[in-house]
Amino acid sequence: MLVFTRRRHEAIMIGDGVEVRVLRVGKDGVRLGIVAPPEVRVHRREVYDQIRDANQSAVVSPDQLAQVAERLTKAK
Amino acid sequence: MNPAPAVAETEITVSEAVTFPDGIPGFETCRSWVVMAAESATPLRRLHAMDGADASFLAIDPRAVLDNYRCELSASDLRRLGAGDNDSLLWLAIVMMEPGGALTVNLRAPIVINPKTMTGQQVLPHNCLYPLRHVLVDAE
Repeated sequence: MLVFTRRRHEAIMIGDGVEVRVLRVGKDGVRLGIVAPPEVRVHRREVYDQIRDANQSAVVSPDQLAQVAERLTKAK
Repeated sequence: MNPAPAVAETEITVSEAVTFPDGIPGFETCRSWVVMAAESATPLRRLHAMDGADASFLAIDPRAVLDNYRCELSASDLRRLGAGDNDSLLWLAIVMMEPGGALTVNLRAPIVINPKTMTGQQVLPHNCLYPLRHVLVDAE
């Protein structure tokens, strides 16, 4: 892992198009500003992880497919 | 469960493969997906990966779950989908079977498909504060 020391208003560049700038440094957190081209998706890591975990637990087998369909029909 | 409206005029059918340039989180190598009607349960769709991994999901139009469901796509989401402001997009929320037996639906990060470009992505809108696990059917 690359490690940098940055002060307020200082930035790092990742490749040609991504800039990460330190906007504010507080006791409990650092506020970052990110400039990236539209094709680069930027997310909080924990949000991405949550969605990934939810997706992985959502995979259904053909058996479950019928089961879910039946329960949804019954619930209506 | 909220009454699922008989599929409205926004009904869009996709039968060919849809390209997801980034896959979806957890299935980053699955770039090609087909959307099928899930047998017998009409509001349900089945998303099946054609490459990368053997994965199938059940999904439902989030507006069939919550009438007033609304998420705004960012300009860069629209651009990735090759969509203009007025293009009709297919929205699908992934259904999950919870360990206790409940069925929940991920309204937080919907799948959005542009039928015009046959491009899709799972969006994580920053302004969309719907739950990741909205209960569709309680545990038995």
